[in-house]
Amino acid sequence: MNKPDNKPFDPAIKSALTALLYQLADDDFILAYRGSEWLGLAPHIEEDVAFSSISQDTMGHAAMFYQLLEDLGEGNIDSLAHGREASERKNAVLLEMVNGPGHYLSTAQYDWAFAVVRNYFYVQAKKVRMDSLKNSSYQPLADVALKVNMELYYHLLHWKTWFVQLMQAGGEARPRMEAAIKKVLGDFEGVLTLGPLGNEIAEHGLIEAEERLKQRWLFMMEPVFESVNLSVSESVFAMKNGNGRKGEHTADLDAALSTLSEVYNVDPAASW
Amino acid sequence: MGSEGFYQEFEVFSKRTDTSSLQYQFSLLAPNRELALVMAQENFMRREPVADIWVVKRSDVRKMTPEEKQSLMRLDNKEYRTTKGYGYLKKKWRHYEQEMLDEKEILSWGGMKKSE
Amino acid sequence: MSGVISYQEWTEEQKYEQFIKRIEAGEKIEADDWMPEDYRLTLIKLISMHGISEIMGALPEKEWVPKAPSLKRKLGIMAKVQDEMGHGQLLLRVAEDLMKPLGKTREDIMQDLFSGRLKFHNVFHMEAPTWGDAGLIGWLVDGAAIITQTNMLNASYGPYARALKRICAEEVFHAQHGEAIIMALAEGTDEQRAMVQDAVNRWWEALLMFFGPGDATTTGTSKQDTTIKYKIRTKTNEELRQDFFTKYIPRVLSLGLTVPDETMQFDQQQNLWVYKQPDWNKFKDIIKNNGPKSKERLGLRQTAYDTNEWVRDALNTAN
Repeated sequence: MNKPDNKPFDPAIKSALTALLYQLADDDFILAYRGSEWLGLAPHIEEDVAFSSISQDTMGHAAMFYQLLEDLGEGNIDSLAHGREASERKNAVLLEMVNGPGHYLSTAQYDWAFAVVRNYFYVQAKKVRMDSLKNSSYQPLADVALKVNMELYYHLLHWKTWFVQLMQAGGEARPRMEAAIKKVLGDFEGVLTLGPLGNEIAEHGLIEAEERLKQRWLFMMEPVFESVNLSVSESVFAMKNGNGRKGEHTADLDAALSTLSEVYNVDPAASW
Repeated sequence: MGSEGFYQEFEVFSKRTDTSSLQYQFSLLAPNRELALVMAQENFMRREPVADIWVVKRSDVRKMTPEEKQSLMRLDNKEYRTTKGYGYLKKKWRHYEQEMLDEKEILSWGGMKKSE
Repeated sequence: MSGVISYQEWTEEQKYEQFIKRIEAGEKIEADDWMPEDYRLTLIKLISMHGISEIMGALPEKEWVPKAPSLKRKLGIMAKVQDEMGHGQLLLRVAEDLMKPLGKTREDIMQDLFSGRLKFHNVFHMEAPTWGDAGLIGWLVDGAAIITQTNMLNASYGPYARALKRICAEEVFHAQHGEAIIMALAEGTDEQRAMVQDAVNRWWEALLMFFGPGDATTTGTSKQDTTIKYKIRTKTNEELRQDFFTKYIPRVLSLGLTVPDETMQFDQQQNLWVYKQPDWNKFKDIIKNNGPKSKERLGLRQTAYDTNEWVRDALNTAN
């Protein structure tokens, strides 16, 4: 099953594959969207520029995953990104949560601690996934993973630097960071899960099993947690706000979708 | 309450490829050199290839004062230090029916193997 | 240059004379060089305003970053607004180095912005209510900015000239990004075409104002004489406005769009565009932060600055 060429897919494999691709694409897309709302509002100008590059890379990755879905006949990449209801979205709920109180144009009081922790923890999970996907039984996905992986070194370096520094900083930083960690872990299971078809996804060799990926994430993070004197137990991983892989979402996603598709919906058939 | 300590000045240098020389890019503000390094790439080289980045705290750079820059001036009488002072050898070698080993010739030897 | 008397013993007049000689000869002045006080102050005012305008300029376009209608447009406008922040970074660094001897830092620039002492360009006080505005800003506002910025590429102040060189290289991408959006709309549905025309109508007066008043008689003050004297720029406001017309009017018309000034025409005899003057009193009012979006955008900038203060405090090595 190397290529989506003439041979028809085993329907069971295809549904596992598309389930996985929707997760990968929707995760990156919505987090990049949240990143784009931060534009102009970061703690300092230099960081604004750096953060925006990461958001662009991440949206670029989403576009590559949507392209794989388009190639499988799921619709064109722009309708996949802009034209689907919340209930059809498979992103983790953690990634759709608002950046903080307020609107991105007027009253945004965004939480930098939440941004740092959410992005750092997610990027490490994404790195674990991409490393595993390099051996995916679906070659086009393995090819994309190899490319995406290249840009994750910078994303990890960037977020890890912020994470370690703020964890070790004085003032309000530590309590703010700990509150953000609690919030992120409360929905982090939603990032790590491969969803209702998780077993099938692993059985078909599309990616390794969820549990192995989770252990690898912990293995990568533990030295960092130790270095900042933080203990994290996987018993606190939860999906407090729902399982996005099942299409369960919050009002935050509805609001985001209506903003991000506002112009697209003026005329989805038009060329923009 | 100011943010002066957050806004430290760093000078950014980079290499375009492994073999190119280090080049000055620009300066940025960051609270420490770790963050300065993380900011540097995307602030100044987001559209061009880059093989290495250095950040240097500006206060660690010993710069010249305008006064000191006067020490950079020198007379144009140092031909003995350059090939210009030895150009007459060309004619001399011709007399011995030899080519002069000039800069172009000598620097071309780098890629030469014995067997060639 | 005489190497006999120590530079420190030179009189202010001698230093000034040498300074003028240097800029006349096309030499660049660097941050640590001696410079006349009005040169320094003119540069600080010009460059901090330019820099903070880039930062404030990110805000009207920011609205359209999450809303851009396709993945490609979302990426393009993100990169474009990122560049605006990046240009702000370059310019503020240049301004900050000039302010250093006065004991001022970026913190002061931000506080001056919030208090209204530091102004930003009139165009960034305006509303951008549709995707057409996002395109128009990229096309014509950036087009106007390219005209004024390229005019200073050879500025006598080296750090500014170098920052502008980087900026103008990126502006070429901005111009094409804006053209691409506008072109798609102009070639699109009736609704899309109307979107562009509305945007042109809405922005026309602000675009004319962008270049500043023709001379001091219009608004009472003008820095253009000082900047020309010190070889920071070469052309006057009016010359730049005329250049803008020459470059862009034919393009606007070629797309079947109109400009909202029925008196607008090219006068062959004078070799000049004749046009209706914008309301310069309105201009003065807008840049005093009384434009339609001035308060909201300053509010957003200040809220973000205050909300993130704990980050700057936490990593403040001076503590």
